[in-house]
Amino acid sequence: MTIDALLARRLLLVTGKGGVGKTTISAALARAAAAKGKRVLAAEISYESPREDDEAGATLTSPLASALGLPPLGDEPRKVTQSLFAARLSPLAGHLQFLRDTLPVRLLADAAMRSAAVRRFFHAAPTLAELGILYRLLDLLKEPWDLVVCDLPATGHALALAQVPQALATVLRAGPIHAAAQEGLAVLRDPKRTTSVLVSLPDPLPVSEAVELYEGLHKLSIDCAMVVLNRVPPNPFTPEERAAIERMVVDRARTLGARRLPRIDRAAAANDRLARELRLPVRAVPELDDDVVARIAGGLGGGA
Amino acid sequence: MRKSDAGERPYIARLLHEKRVVVCCGAGGVGKTTTAAALGLAAATLGKRTLVLTIDPARRLAEAIGSPQTARAPVPVADTRLAAAGIRGTLATWMVDPRVVFERMVRRLTTDEAQAESILQNRIYRALADLVSGMQEYTAAEALYGFVESGEYDLVVLDTPPSRNALDFLEAPRKLSLFLDERIIGVFLPGSGGGGIFRSRARQIAHGVFSRIFGEGFFEELQQFLAAFSGMFTAMRSHAESVRTLLKSPASSFVVIASPEPAALAEAAHLEKTLTGAMQLPFSGFILNRSWAYTRGLLSPADLALPKDATPVDHAALAKLEQLASEELKLAERDRRLLASLRHPGAEAVATPQLDGDIDFAALLLIAESLVACPSEDALEQR
Repeated sequence: MTIDALLARRLLLVTGKGGVGKTTISAALARAAAAKGKRVLAAEISYESPREDDEAGATLTSPLASALGLPPLGDEPRKVTQSLFAARLSPLAGHLQFLRDTLPVRLLADAAMRSAAVRRFFHAAPTLAELGILYRLLDLLKEPWDLVVCDLPATGHALALAQVPQALATVLRAGPIHAAAQEGLAVLRDPKRTTSVLVSLPDPLPVSEAVELYEGLHKLSIDCAMVVLNRVPPNPFTPEERAAIERMVVDRARTLGARRLPRIDRAAAANDRLARELRLPVRAVPELDDDVVARIAGGLGGGA
Repeated sequence: MRKSDAGERPYIARLLHEKRVVVCCGAGGVGKTTTAAALGLAAATLGKRTLVLTIDPARRLAEAIGSPQTARAPVPVADTRLAAAGIRGTLATWMVDPRVVFERMVRRLTTDEAQAESILQNRIYRALADLVSGMQEYTAAEALYGFVESGEYDLVVLDTPPSRNALDFLEAPRKLSLFLDERIIGVFLPGSGGGGIFRSRARQIAHGVFSRIFGEGFFEELQQFLAAFSGMFTAMRSHAESVRTLLKSPASSFVVIASPEPAALAEAAHLEKTLTGAMQLPFSGFILNRSWAYTRGLLSPADLALPKDATPVDHAALAKLEQLASEELKLAERDRRLLASLRHPGAEAVATPQLDGDIDFAALLLIAESLVACPSEDALEQR
């Protein structure tokens, strides 16, 4: 699978264990597609709605916005470059759109969303948040984007999100939610339109989770095209040099430099295991410069 | 910067001595579960009866602390194992199972078996309980409160759910009490609550909206579900409020876990702001995981003995190892600076070392030691 073939889909779902760099990879994929002249929407999922005392949403996190160097994203796509746009997928926007599509009069939908009871029910009832997010995604897919790159939450929540249309279609046997869930399933399960990208770190736990995630997605009939192995440490040693190191280093855990060897070995093992068990192309992304850390640390120090 | 004065307990040891609840927050992948387990072990070392509530531990970690993944109640770590490590206290672990917590809550709050069964068998209840999303958050807070109230433990350490917004679980009781607000329930349940023109108008809108969206049949089923649940609402709501009160009290402490990666550090800063800002929760400080800060007593590659008949390959290999060593020293420097910058009035910070290989009981003990020992900067440094 080449990157070109990957980017030829309409919807890319990017997921993996927490902390593996899903957002960075999502942003990078979106930028790569935009650089090839595609009209791209990068989307992040945000369950949060602004706190009651924060109408502007200043307390919301927006990791994708940070990765793209933007202020927090809103519900409407914002232009980043000529061909790259970014937006957040929030339950609230989906719920409002859903009610507008479902109820005969737009005024009634707006009145319903103004009703504290309806609003709170949608906000608090489990699965309805996920439905709102999916509905918003389906809605955005109706716009003329060549590609939508969606930065999904970590494994458990990503699977729960992907599971919602099926669960809803089962519980509700008819009606507009059933129809929306069916439509969602059709889009998610069409490998020509939709595929997923699993992001992992070169360590045993994230790799195990990537394998579990792959199985979970497979059960939900969602296609998976590629594994991105993020932050792979470079291996400077030839096999002969490595053998020489093993002869010279007596106490690996107590020798500077040698403490980095297990990471190099784990990266090779991770690559092998993913390629062997998932039979998917594995793309390694090297560890990048650490300068960012220092700057953020400076910010932390002043963050009292 | 600030060194712990002689006689004053280091920060983590102080928390483990004084608090009844320690909540571990942090972005995904920073080692929250491992840290929660190590904190529990450290507390047991201090003689405490300790419970660690984890959400979704990796299988090998579960093995390291002796917690089967399917238990319906906390599993104690074998006394012999603790005794062998010279630990006086006790340690139990439990992986929160949303279904078990919910079922327990339903049984506790219902008046009779028949009511409990009618709720547990309700199709909507089962569909909700089966969906993991959201349930972990509701049940983590619920389980925590139950165990603190039971009085069986001196300290409960909670590993928060691996969600993008790591503080979801704090909002869960509030969300639940909003959902259970009788003004909302009243809208769905005909004949419940008082009248009033607003109430009946709201009920009309809600009925119209919901019948249209979910279909008439589902609305009836939802009403049945809520009617079956309604006997429990008051109790559940006051319970949810109690959880909030407990977490806000000085008996609780929130610790933010970070690893030395930009995203994790940014998330840590955001978490601190949220905890101390709008939420007004008792935040204590940071734990910087997997840091390279500890370099004391390490050998340098220059100290290694080259074989007498050293080949060019040996020399090249050693040169490359020296390159790795100098990179490692830069990382150590970076992590010590990070540690210092994390500390500020109102926030302490301690580092745990990078460990290679599997996290087993011995590895957890090492992390536990480094957490309570809280070595000063000089002790971290080489030579």
